[in-house]
Amino acid sequence: MITGSPPATPAAPAFALAVEERIATAHGWLRDRRQAAWDAFSTMPMPSSQRDEDWRRTDIAKLQLSGFQPSDGIDEPLVNAIRQRRDQGAADAALLLDAAPVTRIEQSDELTAAGVVLSSLDEAARLHPELVERALSAVGVAESPFVALWNAMWSGGAFIYVPRSVHAAVPVWVAHSAAGHRGAAFPATVVLLEDNSSLTLVDDYLSAAGLNEMFSDALTIVVAGRDARLDHCVLQQWGEGVWHVALHRTVLAQNARLRMFGATLGSRLQKAYWEVMLDGPGAEANISGVVFGDGAQHLDHQSLQAHRAPQTTSRLKLKVAVRDHARSVYSGLIDVERIAQQTDAYVQNRNLLLSHGATADSVPRLEIRANDVRCGHGATAGHIDDDHRFYLMARGVTAEDADRLIVHGFLDDALADCPHPGVAALIGELLEKELEGNAQAGIAVVDA
Amino acid sequence: MTDHQALAADLVVDGLSVAVDGKEILRGVDLTVPAGEVHALMGPNGSGKSTLAYTLSGHPKYAVTGGTATFGGDDLLALPADARARLGLFLCFQYPTAIPGVTTVNFMRAALRAQGKEMPAREFIRRLNEEMAALRIDESFRARYINDGFSGGEKKRAEILQMAMLRPRLSILDETDSGLDVDALRTVANGVTRLAGPDMSVLVITHYPRILEYLKPDRVHILNQGRVILSGGPELATQIEREGYEPIIGPVAAEAGASRTSLTGVVAEAQA
Ligand SMILES: Nc1ncnc2c1ncn2[C@@H]1O[C@H](COP(=O)(O)OP(=O)(O)O)[C@@H](O)[C@H]1O
Ligand SMILES: [Mg+2]
Repeated sequence: MITGSPPATPAAPAFALAVEERIATAHGWLRDRRQAAWDAFSTMPMPSSQRDEDWRRTDIAKLQLSGFQPSDGIDEPLVNAIRQRRDQGAADAALLLDAAPVTRIEQSDELTAAGVVLSSLDEAARLHPELVERALSAVGVAESPFVALWNAMWSGGAFIYVPRSVHAAVPVWVAHSAAGHRGAAFPATVVLLEDNSSLTLVDDYLSAAGLNEMFSDALTIVVAGRDARLDHCVLQQWGEGVWHVALHRTVLAQNARLRMFGATLGSRLQKAYWEVMLDGPGAEANISGVVFGDGAQHLDHQSLQAHRAPQTTSRLKLKVAVRDHARSVYSGLIDVERIAQQTDAYVQNRNLLLSHGATADSVPRLEIRANDVRCGHGATAGHIDDDHRFYLMARGVTAEDADRLIVHGFLDDALADCPHPGVAALIGELLEKELEGNAQAGIAVVDA
Repeated sequence: MTDHQALAADLVVDGLSVAVDGKEILRGVDLTVPAGEVHALMGPNGSGKSTLAYTLSGHPKYAVTGGTATFGGDDLLALPADARARLGLFLCFQYPTAIPGVTTVNFMRAALRAQGKEMPAREFIRRLNEEMAALRIDESFRARYINDGFSGGEKKRAEILQMAMLRPRLSILDETDSGLDVDALRTVANGVTRLAGPDMSVLVITHYPRILEYLKPDRVHILNQGRVILSGGPELATQIEREGYEPIIGPVAAEAGASRTSLTGVVAEAQA
């Protein structure tokens, strides 16, 4: 081995086998894309907290990909738990289950009748290759080792296409799940919104509570045409043994609008990129999120607000509460290109530390090449204010309840931005359980 | 319980000394507010009035270095703030804290539950609406975050609203009248007089006799440099309005260690 050049990622034998089979069954551009991705992945070193700025505060040295194999799907009790969760959050939503090799579509008639295409990404790649290719082109084949691995490995997946001027009457709930010892999942949500269409989308990542070690390498790509509207909720409630790496990228054309709300509760370690590309004049993005970490969770969010056209607006607000020895890492960039005059952008990250062992890092950045813009950022971190606690206690509320009210209030303030009331209520309930301290990462699954 | 029992109880403060960040602020406060009475506490800025209020309420920043304080015979100083509130103590803050994210509705429900005064949701909302109407607080405040973005006057009304909902046995009003216009003052004062009586004693901290015209205190106490240096009837408030504190505290400031009895003598002379 040549010293000085970092070693390529150790081959995961089970992945190599799976890729071989997927390349063999794919056609044309997809086959080339998988092959190119795998070739690139095989030469790329894993991200390192010493070498890679993105990973400086998130150490994945303990993630040994060679030990994982593709998940072999989930069982019926977990499917039922997922269905119940959809029922609780948005009972009218179409359900798209992405738990390869288990994929299902339920309750989709109303949308299908309106011309919306809902299918697995596999099937879409066969039936609508030009649409899938158009959407996938928003992400490079090998932007990072994890994107390369995803491009080579994904199967199943969710695909949604909303034709021009169609307003999807009910939400689409995409549930990404996996199971099995050292199971690996490559969750996929690929969305194309034609001009003047609209959609409410829930991306829900979840697995059974417990320590089972799994790996999730997820990609969400949304390409939104002129005047399109997307309300997007992202819930992450993997079990506490799961490594979760995700890229969520939304590309907005002229006057398109994104409202995104993320709730990060689960996983052992997460590195999630929340990216919005404001490509058309007048495009607008409002991104908000709540994060609750406890135990030894490590939750990393990295955001990008890329202003690439004039008169674009973006807001990002992330509220984080960490307890025990949990650690939150937030970094974010507002990137304004020279032509993006009259950009209006703001990023805000607030952290509440609930234990002395909990930490939160916050690094918002601005890179501005236009001269007529309004941009700002703010970051705070601190413990519960003694005066706040005292004020509530002075009305008879115990210290514990006072703290709970304060943390709840702190997170509720962001939760109010969640674009779907049912999902907001569900997240509120999940947070309540976390605050009571009796929530485990992952979801409870009852055997029927 | 069918018979109405008077709920208020005696507050007895005896030789109370308090330090903040190592600095002694209260230096032996003696003060008794018998059950059901209204007492006023006056004194120049910085004399320690808020410190006394915070200390009685149990703010952890205020370290008691001597003396006692009991309410209905219970040792207040041994209890954390929440337990004191559950005994029936209520502090109307001079500068109420904003708590983003916590709505008045949620907070009041939690506080009533904590005090064992929970009521059915419908009754709770009805009472909240009634009290808000009486205090001329807009309905939108129900769902607003506590004191968040409230004007000075709105904060004071909101404090009185909490008092009205919680029905304490002793209410300490810390300059609740400061910064209120005449109409707001009347509204707030009515909110207090409605409850003051056998069920609720009041200790009202103020600079102005106007609120006292409504509350009609049984006694007025003057605090200076961390001690109650003088107690008298309601006329003491009007005298201070006319002449300021100087005729009372001037000699004290000059004569270090002057005793309380001799001071009462000075004022008695001044009034004659
Ligand atoms: N947190 C504090 N740290 C130091 N000194 C304080 C603090 N709070 C109050 N003080 C001092 O204590 C004295 C009494 O203050 P306070 O009780 O607020 O007076 P009042 O309410 O009568 O105007 C003042 O000299 C004030 O500066
Ligand atoms: Mg004061």
